[in-house]
Amino acid sequence: MRRYEENRMYRYLRRHKKFPNVWCPGCGIGIVMGALIRAIDRLGWEKDDIAMVSGIGCSGRMPVYMDFNTMHTTHGRALAFATGLKMVKPKMHVIAIMGDGDALAIGGNHFIHAARRNIGITAIVINNSIYGMTGGQYSPTTPTGSLATTAPYGNIDQPFPICELAIAAGATFVARGTVYHAVELDRLIEKALVHEGFSVVEAVSYCHTTFGRINKLGTAVDMLRWQKENSVTREAAAKMTPEQLQGKIVRGIFHERELPEYTAAYAKIIEQAMAAQRKA
Amino acid sequence: MSEEQDSPQAVAAEETAPAPTGRKKRRRGRVHVFDNWCKGCGICIAFCPQHVYEMDEDGRPVVAHEDQCTACHWCDVHCPDLAIVVTDVEEDADGGTTDAGQ
Repeated sequence: MRRYEENRMYRYLRRHKKFPNVWCPGCGIGIVMGALIRAIDRLGWEKDDIAMVSGIGCSGRMPVYMDFNTMHTTHGRALAFATGLKMVKPKMHVIAIMGDGDALAIGGNHFIHAARRNIGITAIVINNSIYGMTGGQYSPTTPTGSLATTAPYGNIDQPFPICELAIAAGATFVARGTVYHAVELDRLIEKALVHEGFSVVEAVSYCHTTFGRINKLGTAVDMLRWQKENSVTREAAAKMTPEQLQGKIVRGIFHERELPEYTAAYAKIIEQAMAAQRKA
Repeated sequence: MSEEQDSPQAVAAEETAPAPTGRKKRRRGRVHVFDNWCKGCGICIAFCPQHVYEMDEDGRPVVAHEDQCTACHWCDVHCPDLAIVVTDVEEDADGGTTDAGQ
């Protein structure tokens, strides 16, 4: 019965950290962490070649448990720190873990500019539609009409479409998965990790503790079931009418293209400058 | 096994897997839930397609029907606490099992 070493997942966790993890029972962030571990395990990358950077929020706790090079940075600045790290160590696989508020509100500018530069970072945006850790304030991805502690009569803002925003800003790999479809999610993360350039994976999660409670959506099990029933693949969505697609989560790869990666372009510039200096 | 030891941190390499032997009949799984890591969210109990789990009085999962497990790995993939390990085993013609590894 004691074949724990066969389970490859535990090789990527820090053994001296306190488990169980800090997230609420049933939180989807744990499922995203599992998906990320499986993706990295399939790629067979060395733990030392991977750097994980996170900001503040529930998702910010993830690198604490992972046995890679990790940075837990200030709110919204995960991509800023990750950009610096990638510039200094271009060979390092840099993964930025952010929540929806972290990536799009506090770090919104970092997000679009990292996408514009096409720097080789994998940004995983865990979207739970709310600021869960601080008590359920509405976030840039809270759906219109949903309740939040700071929107007790319903949110009147439009939510940010994360994938469309990333595509428009210039990211070269954009995908969305849900935590219910966890195996699909780890395939998407794997593709994002090997992509050369800025890749974004929106992992649609849920927050049953704040968002679910205030909107009466039930437990983690209920919210997972909701995801199962209300998400469609991109292929299926293409055959559906806009009315049918109302309120549905579309999963899949939305955008993939090849453009020069930022650190590679920067290395070329350095080479040119050095050559010019040698001539002079 | 005492409660203190029942976590992946406490138990490292115990034994190495023997080479798979025997004719493959059907996929079976051996299920273990690390009680120290499980927070009792109930996801495994609610979604297991073979109803392997039952809920105890604290709302935590008990592996009640391990013989029904088909090693689909739904539970260990979706466990937010990474507290479930499902090991693939193969059932021989005579009903005995051998480990299939991961």
